Parts: sequence; C-alpha cells; structure tokens
Amino acid sequence: MGRLRLVAVFVAAVVVHRILADLLTVGGTSPDTLLVVAAAAGLIGGPRRGAVLGFAAGLAADLFLLTPFGLAALVYCVVGYASGEFSGTVVRSARWIPLVAVAIAATFGQILFAFAAATVGWGQLVSIRLPVVALTVGLLGGTLALVVTPAMTWALRDGTRTTIR
Amino acid sequence: MVSSRSQGGRSRFILLLLTLTSVTLITVDFRGSSGAIDWVRSRALDVFAPIERTAAAVFSPVGDFFTSVVNYSDLEAENDRLRAQLEEARSAPVRAADAERERDALLDLNGLEVTADIPSVAARVVSSDASNVAQVIEIDRGTAHGVAEGMPVVAGGGLVGRVVRTSEHRAVVLLVTDATFRVGIRFTRTGEVGVAAGSGRGKPLDADLVDATAELEVGEAVVTSGLQQGLYPPGIAVGLVRSDRLQSGALQRDVSIDPSVDLQRLAFVRVLQWTPTVS
Repeated sequence: MGRLRLVAVFVAAVVVHRILADLLTVGGTSPDTLLVVAAAAGLIGGPRRGAVLGFAAGLAADLFLLTPFGLAALVYCVVGYASGEFSGTVVRSARWIPLVAVAIAATFGQILFAFAAATVGWGQLVSIRLPVVALTVGLLGGTLALVVTPAMTWALRDGTRTTIR
Repeated sequence: MVSSRSQGGRSRFILLLLTLTSVTLITVDFRGSSGAIDWVRSRALDVFAPIERTAAAVFSPVGDFFTSVVNYSDLEAENDRLRAQLEEARSAPVRAADAERERDALLDLNGLEVTADIPSVAARVVSSDASNVAQVIEIDRGTAHGVAEGMPVVAGGGLVGRVVRTSEHRAVVLLVTDATFRVGIRFTRTGEVGVAAGSGRGKPLDADLVDATAELEVGEAVVTSGLQQGLYPPGIAVGLVRSDRLQSGALQRDVSIDPSVDLQRLAFVRVLQWTPTVS
C-alpha cells in the first residue's frame, strides 16, 4: 500500500512536471517539480530515502531532458540525501521550515545541475542568468512544496522518520 | 548511538552506490554506445503522450486565463502590432510572387533545391520544455509519420529549429533560440554569410563570423545559407537584422537578429523531410 501511494505521488509529479510546470513559468523559468519531490523525500524520509527517491525522480526527469541520461539522477540523489541530512539537524519544527528548506534545496539543486552539466559539455547552463534561474526555481519550488510536502508525508507515512512535517 | 551511526553509514553507502550508477549511466549515454537509453527515452515520450494530452486539455484553459491576465498589456500592444502587420501583408502577395519567381529561377540556375518543393509533415505543438535546460518544443508527429532526427522545422514565418529526438508519435524540436543552436545564414541584400547562434528564450540571435567590412542594414532579411555542412536547405527565413555594429579593432561585426517566427506562441509547424548532405 505504501509503495502504491509512492507510485501515485511519482506519477502525479511527472504529469505536473510535464504539463503544469509549463503553465507556471515565471520570467521564462519553470518550476522543477521532480527536484522538489527529491528534496521533500529527503526532508520527510531522511537521507537514505531521500537519496533513493531523489535518484528515482532524477531518472524520471532524465527521460525528457536532452542532457546525458543519469545527470539529473545524480544531482537529485545528492539533493535528496543532503535534505535528509539537514532534516536531522532541525530541533524545533515549524510549518514554514519545510517550505524554506525545499526552496533552498531546489536553488542549490539547480546550480549543482548547471555545473554538473557543464562538466559533460553543457557549459551554456552556467551563465550570468544562472543565479536568477536558480532563485526563481527555488521560489517556485518553495511554493510547490505546499502541495508536495504533504503528499510525500502521506506517501511515506509508514515507518517514516518524519523529523520535519 | 551505535544504531544511528550504522544507519548513517548505510545511507552513505547507498548514496555512493547511486552516484556510481548515475556516473555509469552518464558515461554510457555520453559515449552514445547505448541504443537502450534512446529506446527508453523514446518510449517515455509515447507513453506519456495520452496522459499529457488529457491533462493539457483540462488545464490549458486555466493556464491561458492566468497568462492573459498577467500579460494583458503585452497582448494589447501585440494586437496593435499585428493589425499594422496585416495592413502591410495585404500588399505583400504581389511583391512576394515576383520575388519567388526570381528566387526559383536563381536556385534552378545554381542547382539548388526550392524549400517549397521539399516534402514536409505538418505537426501540432503539444508542449514546450519545462526544464530550464534547453529551448525545445514537442510536436505530435514522429517516426511513424516520416519525421527523423536532424530535420529542419519551419512555421509560416521561417525557421523554428531542428528535430533532436524522435519517438513513434512524438518529436522534440530544438528551437533557434537555444544556446546550442547554430545555423549558417546569408544576409539577403548584401549576400554576406555568417553563423547565427541562439542566446536564450525571448532573446535575439547572435550572428558570428560576419566580415568586418560587410555593409548591413537594420531590418535586412536573413535566410539560411545552406552552407553550414548542408544541415539546412538554403533560403529559409531566419529573421531580420535588429542591430549591427563594429567595435574598434574587431575582426567581425556584432550583429543581432530578431527571429522571424514568434516562438512563444507556436501552434503548428512543418517538419521539412530534408536529409542533411553531411551528418
């Protein structure tokens, strides 16, 4: 049942990533729903689940990107793991913490992706526009976290670490 | 304490394992040695196509509404601009027919193909890319309809881009505004050649390798040259010269070009079934 919920959240995330993200573009920059899923998985499920689910979300993103297959999987896996490590350091939980944490993770993830892509020949992603793109992705990610974080909490509710809710 | 430490160690081990898996996948794909990855990506486009079609039908009116509200003033200005263009266009057919006859005669004389004679496939734009990685659109025609990678894509006004990925019923088109896009160009008035490169969404194209002595005019039409290893047939409209300047000591001109197609509002395109002469 837990896995079914997770699959449902993933499929919904991919559809949102492919359809709604296009409609939610701000200043030419689109939100990255699957990166938000990776960050939320780490925050809710801890570093191990964050890494595994981040990897899966990245593979789903890689299916539709032009960059080499596996690049998003690598970056999202690291983002999921780092979010999980961060969640373990938070002592006092508040409603706004996951939103800000996801926003920061999405910003960091976008920058990491650009630099990782540059190492495999996609240097054009590292440009003077990168900070603006990364911050916009972060802000949009924080907004999407309003929906994604509760969905991920629901999907991982059995045996979840749930440091941050 | 011991359990927590062991859990941390296991998490790091999994991270290492997944990192190595990712690096392996990147290496395999980067070397272009796996047809399996291309097959999976191609199938993914087809599998998600019906879901996306349904979701787009449901959500696009909502998206259109918000876009209209946010861009109301832009739409009003665009309306005025389009009215002015319509007036101008009414007199264009006469001039165009004459120019077309002249161009066809010249192309025939030089043994070159006329773009209008190249077989093409009409396609509907089903989505634009939402990844912030590349400027691409997706169309609802694929290998089943004769679309192949490398084929040029045009719309009414001119060059839109090039097919970079195909599945049975879908294709991904890299737009001329993408930073990795390059096309050989010719300035119609002077005959000067160069290479146009994309520089991002909503931005003009940059023209490289344009001779410093070239005498260009703002508003001059730019078409594909057909020279850049034959990747595009000659004579497809690329855009109009937006600005042209020469910095002191420079060996080439600093030229920017407005694309002739409004890439933000593409609904239908044509894929030219043109095979590049050199791969």
